[in-house]
Amino acid sequence: MIGYVLEVAQAALALLLAPGVVGLIRWMKARLQNRRGAPVWQPYRELAKLFQKEVVVSNNASWLFRAAPFVVFGSAVTVTLFVPILAVPLPFDGVGDLLVVVYLLLLGTFFLSLAGLDPGSPFGGMGASREMTIAALAEPTVALAIFALALSAGSTNLGQIVARTMSHPGAALSPGHLLAFLALFIVALAETGRLPIDNPATHLELTMIHEAMVLEYSGRYLALIEWAAAVKLLVFFSLLGNLFVPAGISMALTPATLAIAVVTLLAKFAVLAGAVAILETRIAKLRLFRVPELLSVSFVLGLLAVTSSFLLR
Amino acid sequence: MDSVFSQVCVLGSSLVLIFGLTLLWRRSVTAYITAFQWQSIVLSGLTAVVAYFGGDHELYLAAGALAALKAVVIPRLLRRMEHRFAAARELQPYVNTPTSLVIAGLLVLFGYAITRPLVALSQLPTRAGMPLAMGLVLVSLFVVISRKKALTQVVGFLMLENGLALLAVLGTYGIPLIVELGVFLDVLMGFLVMQIFMYQIHETFESIDIEQLNRLRH
Repeated sequence: MIGYVLEVAQAALALLLAPGVVGLIRWMKARLQNRRGAPVWQPYRELAKLFQKEVVVSNNASWLFRAAPFVVFGSAVTVTLFVPILAVPLPFDGVGDLLVVVYLLLLGTFFLSLAGLDPGSPFGGMGASREMTIAALAEPTVALAIFALALSAGSTNLGQIVARTMSHPGAALSPGHLLAFLALFIVALAETGRLPIDNPATHLELTMIHEAMVLEYSGRYLALIEWAAAVKLLVFFSLLGNLFVPAGISMALTPATLAIAVVTLLAKFAVLAGAVAILETRIAKLRLFRVPELLSVSFVLGLLAVTSSFLLR
Repeated sequence: MDSVFSQVCVLGSSLVLIFGLTLLWRRSVTAYITAFQWQSIVLSGLTAVVAYFGGDHELYLAAGALAALKAVVIPRLLRRMEHRFAAARELQPYVNTPTSLVIAGLLVLFGYAITRPLVALSQLPTRAGMPLAMGLVLVSLFVVISRKKALTQVVGFLMLENGLALLAVLGTYGIPLIVELGVFLDVLMGFLVMQIFMYQIHETFESIDIEQLNRLRH
């Protein structure tokens, strides 16, 4: 019973924290660039404002355009139930493993691209085609990187992977884990529209990807999509933080261990947000034709990770 | 203790290999030189670690010489050359970037395959890093044959040498110091010869693109 309560609490926590993580990255980036920057809770204000705004829908849009935000948001929320965020093992571990997580994330991307195509605006179609190109290259790498961990744990179940790494702390430094971490980090940047692949700070630029798809959205639909994007970032951060460095995750489900889990989780998010902020300050956006090259780097890293964890078992 | 040692070795070898892979996807020659410099620093650190755990004091000397030569002297000479030729960018290589990355992945797999008997035979705690060293050797060889600029090929050759040094350190705890010093001298001499060659090529053809070499100049 307590497991299910925790499951819901974990999802709620993820939903609540997600805009904050985005705000934290923006704030750190602003500080690094010598700007004062909006406060960390600015994304919450933006969401609150968007939820009150009127919705404007194009005459050409079909029901798909109205349904897509809910599918995108729903798939992001469902993923938070399967990803180990605070505690393992949880009752939903048996319902979905890493393949379910990967394809739920892809479901959201797919519907977002459909919604971009639906109103027939040139920007939407352009963004959708780019997003699909990137998703097609990134998706196998996500699976491959987590497979590298699954091989050493002997299970594709995310909870069991975490438990196994907890019981063998030395494994966190094995080449399989490190290569897989690098591969997943690059892919996380691609999937969440961060800098070398897509610039999250631009609006109305020819190079945008995510922004181009959601250009037609307004009001609560836009709020749902932006929130879902933040949750997706949080899901990738939890995968990076908890699968590779599981320290602090609660195994016993007591209040004390859960408190430790929350604190370490926040620390991990802060470290990852700092890494992303530094990276986004240091590097420029890649040309679109260089993106497949970067993604094939991460694919090769994932491949090497699987090889070495298979051969060095 | 041994498990920590072998973890560190594998970790270091992976880093060395990753710096080698940089050659395949970056385009600017400056990035190649920086990657080579970092690779040499990691390699010399790894040699020092092997010296510490293996209790072999001569290896410290080898590590120091390696750091001085490959992390300071050669990168500086390379940068000077790059500056002189204004050769900031690698041209489109013979094999495009995504394909060459996949080929590199397969080469590392091949490295695992051919070092299998070696790893099975060895009792050393460092053995798990040997396939990665062999992978680096194969990948650098591939860089040498697939790139067009002479400068990139030189960096590829130097990385190949790094791969061999790594293989020697991991496979046998380093070769005797006198041989090691001979190898360093060889690398330096080879590098200087290549440098002179490159200046000559540049003077004659006004470019270090080796494509130009198969055309007669008159």
